[in-house]
Amino acid sequence: MARKCEEFIKGLADYIDGDIEPELCDEIEKHIGKCNNCRIMVDTMRQTVSLCREGKEERLPEALERKLTGMLKERWDKKFGHS
Amino acid sequence: MNEIEIVKRAQAGDFGAFTELVNAHKDKLYAFVRKLTGDPEDTNDIVQDTFLKAIDKIDQFRGESSFGTWLTSIALNQARGMFAKRKQTDLRPLEDYLPAGATNGPNPLANASLFDWRDPLSVLEAAEINELVEEGLAGIPFKYREAFLLRYVEEMSVKEVAATIGQSEAATKSRILRARLALRDFLSRRFEGNYGEKMRRVH
Repeated sequence: MARKCEEFIKGLADYIDGDIEPELCDEIEKHIGKCNNCRIMVDTMRQTVSLCREGKEERLPEALERKLTGMLKERWDKKFGHS
Repeated sequence: MNEIEIVKRAQAGDFGAFTELVNAHKDKLYAFVRKLTGDPEDTNDIVQDTFLKAIDKIDQFRGESSFGTWLTSIALNQARGMFAKRKQTDLRPLEDYLPAGATNGPNPLANASLFDWRDPLSVLEAAEINELVEEGLAGIPFKYREAFLLRYVEEMSVKEVAATIGQSEAATKSRILRARLALRDFLSRRFEGNYGEKMRRVH
């Protein structure tokens, strides 16, 4: 991996997120075509975000929801002065 | 009825309207905080305190952001307070997460994994991957993790993340990138170490 790759990697996140000028984008794509290490960095950086987004769908646990309902009503009544 | 109207009713003292807001945001908030803390007990505490604080401060909500973003900001403050009390090791310099040879001059730590893991979901169960992602996120110091999650899980722009965490856009971008590289490196090493052979066979 050459010096060019270091400068390049720092711009990778912008490239992956579609946040750079088209000319620079072309330059990066050309570089990836020639540099397998940078291609791996791009692929795995992209996957890193996908895996975080695709993770298990977490939902508020029922036990917490039950507890919360009572607590919130109590706090609400205290604030707004209902009995 | 749109959310602004529901918020106005809640601000006027309508508990039913507030309950509607809680129901609309509870799962998303829980999922975000779960990723942020990596711990179910901490998550429960923060989510609970966030909704209680939301009642206390509901009249301060001016609609400058969405109600969901406002709740997220409250949760972040709660989490920051919690993590400020805990000792955390800082991330290594950015260069250490780049592949060896990517930096000028000697840097013995610059040796990021270049294992080509492609699509791990084609090899591993989603639950195994979730566990690894959770472990990886938990190992990233809070200030980087919050920026990363706001950007990619809450899907905020860099500008919005910067405003939420009170940092410049340049500093925010740097935190997001460092978290991403650190998590990438953690996952690469784990995939290679635990499942390397299996992954190479499939790909």
